[in-house]
Amino acid sequence: MSSTKVAGGFSFENHVRNVALQNKGMALPRATKTGTTIAGIIFKDGVVLGADTRATEGPIVADKNCEKIHYLAPNMYCCGAGTAADTEFTTSMICSDLELHRLATGRDSRVVTALTMLKQYLFKYQGHIGAALVLGGYDHSGPQLFTIYPHGSTDKLPYVTMGSGSLAAMAVFEAKWQRDMERQDAIELVREAIESGIFNDLGSGSNVDICVLEKDKVDMLRNYARPNERGQKEQNYRFQRGTTDVLSTSVRNLVIVEEGDQMDTS
Amino acid sequence: MADGISAPIEHRYSPYTDNGGTILAIAGEDFCVIAGDTRQSEGYSINTRYAPKVFKMSNNSVLANSGFHADGVTLAKQLDQRIQESTGEWYRHAHEKDMSTPAFAQLLATTLYGKRFFPYYTFSIVGGLDKEGKGCVYGYDPVGSFERYTCRAAGSAQNLIQPFLDSQVGITAVNRAEQLSLVSVIRIVKDAFTSATERDIYTGDFIEMFIITQEGVETQLHPLKRD
Amino acid sequence: MTTVLKAGEANLGTTIMAVEFDGGVVIAADSRTTTGAYIANRVTDKLTKVHDRIYCCRSGSAADTQAVADIVHYYMQMYSVEHSEAPRTRVAAAIFQELCYKNKDALSAGIIVAGWDKHTGGQVYSIPLGGSLHRQPFAIGGSGSTYIYGYCDSAFRVGMSRDECVEFTKNAVSLAMARDGSSGGVIRLAIITEGGVERIFVGGEDLPKHYEG
Repeated sequence: MSSTKVAGGFSFENHVRNVALQNKGMALPRATKTGTTIAGIIFKDGVVLGADTRATEGPIVADKNCEKIHYLAPNMYCCGAGTAADTEFTTSMICSDLELHRLATGRDSRVVTALTMLKQYLFKYQGHIGAALVLGGYDHSGPQLFTIYPHGSTDKLPYVTMGSGSLAAMAVFEAKWQRDMERQDAIELVREAIESGIFNDLGSGSNVDICVLEKDKVDMLRNYARPNERGQKEQNYRFQRGTTDVLSTSVRNLVIVEEGDQMDTS
Repeated sequence: MADGISAPIEHRYSPYTDNGGTILAIAGEDFCVIAGDTRQSEGYSINTRYAPKVFKMSNNSVLANSGFHADGVTLAKQLDQRIQESTGEWYRHAHEKDMSTPAFAQLLATTLYGKRFFPYYTFSIVGGLDKEGKGCVYGYDPVGSFERYTCRAAGSAQNLIQPFLDSQVGITAVNRAEQLSLVSVIRIVKDAFTSATERDIYTGDFIEMFIITQEGVETQLHPLKRD
Repeated sequence: MTTVLKAGEANLGTTIMAVEFDGGVVIAADSRTTTGAYIANRVTDKLTKVHDRIYCCRSGSAADTQAVADIVHYYMQMYSVEHSEAPRTRVAAAIFQELCYKNKDALSAGIIVAGWDKHTGGQVYSIPLGGSLHRQPFAIGGSGSTYIYGYCDSAFRVGMSRDECVEFTKNAVSLAMARDGSSGGVIRLAIITEGGVERIFVGGEDLPKHYEG
């Protein structure tokens, strides 16, 4: 009883059992990985974040149009790569912590606050929480962009990529990124970087999501580019009515009225 | 491990890799369709978008290999030499005819079993016409166990495609393979590949399709998604 | 001294260095961060401020050294508020040592602490992997340092001027960057004196040239 009563955080209840099972040769369940391309750049007036929309379970595509750009605060979004559940829960938890912090202080959230909270949380779990993040935001000190690794280290750079497609995307940035780009040019560059991941990295695929953060303004451009529409199928595979032979029929009356009127089921 | 002493790492040469990709074949009444995608990959990287893994071996037999691409190519090359030049003479000259597909299927099985203890890492399918001129398909494991099928899929999307083929042309299908026209079989093959491409990361880029009839072998190339 | 990292951990392959001179210190580092063979950051700043005139040079795990530096940074702020005076470099070094020694089993961090204070002037402290603390007239660290022990012992002279220290540091770090695959990019330099901190950026074209055969 007392062992199951936990105030918060993770439950390690089954840890010993699972280790025993593992030693007997049972494979532990595999978490959904978002073999991903995520990226971000700083431009003249803000930050552009980008992500592909494929989620994989080993070699199988688990979700063809998932959302990898997570909301953190009105002025902050965060792209997640790695273990899907970890990116999802880590960002949503920091999101609520930031909201409480805003209510307590009466001030807008700063990007470095979110950065510090994320890195301290991930460092505490020593890499066991597999979240690789690209954090972008706009606060009183202007546009800011960071990467956060699962072990809790961070980098501050004007253009960043993460996930299995990060090399393909970084190749595009290293070739074409410029300081103080125009908004539309920046969006197109991020689109190109993400598409480079989509086409060259098997872990990434489907569509491009874009998020533009500027002073007092956020544009979430869901499926900004859809370069992988499913083609028309050659034929229809609906089974004809009556395909399955009916061998026998039996109908039972499950409502038995013992007194009064029968319930109106019309 | 933070003591600064690194643990010893065992380096060992691995002779095999899995290059992904999918192949399938359907036997019709008087034809056979055998196809494969053309993506060759390793891990999360694409080596090339066009690497054929379906090979025309004669005027009535086509071989498709998935698994380790280099073994597939070597196997096809070796079989080609055996067909063209058996015991110093061309098979055709020795027997005054082309090798039949069932004979080729048996040759493949013995060739695979010949490397029982250092196998070719290939999952093969042979498509062609039998002695009665009916479509025939043979499926193999890497060491030469084989069987005749009406339809067969192999490779990275085997688990996705085989149930679909069974439902459309196999023993559970409403329309059996022998009742299907060539046109509808080609449609099924295309849909099998476009659907597998949606969900299998190792399948994509192009379908290369071989159609075997009494008249010979015709090839078609169709684009697939590239993501 | 090979650091063993957890799989996928960002590594500061690194060459770091610090030299004392009369009136201050010169600190320097390369700018490469790697994850396996991939350069995750080619313009990393491994010179991290923990107080106005106290910096640390980080080598080893990026996550571990950032976490430790953040904690020391916090302690230094608390110290200066509580004592209404800037902490001595020695204090920062002692806290670094405490953290590195007590958590030696969980950390892979090789840190050089350097700074200026009004009591002792410029000082350099080295805290290698086990968590020991050494004050030295100059210190080198990180995987690249093994290539330049000979050069440094030969080129170092007691009583070098500020500019001589800058030249010495530039030469040593660029030599290490040329030989060590895990070090590279640009050189980031800082000169810490009573007057403040002057930061210098030495880009690829401006690196000192040595034998390249």
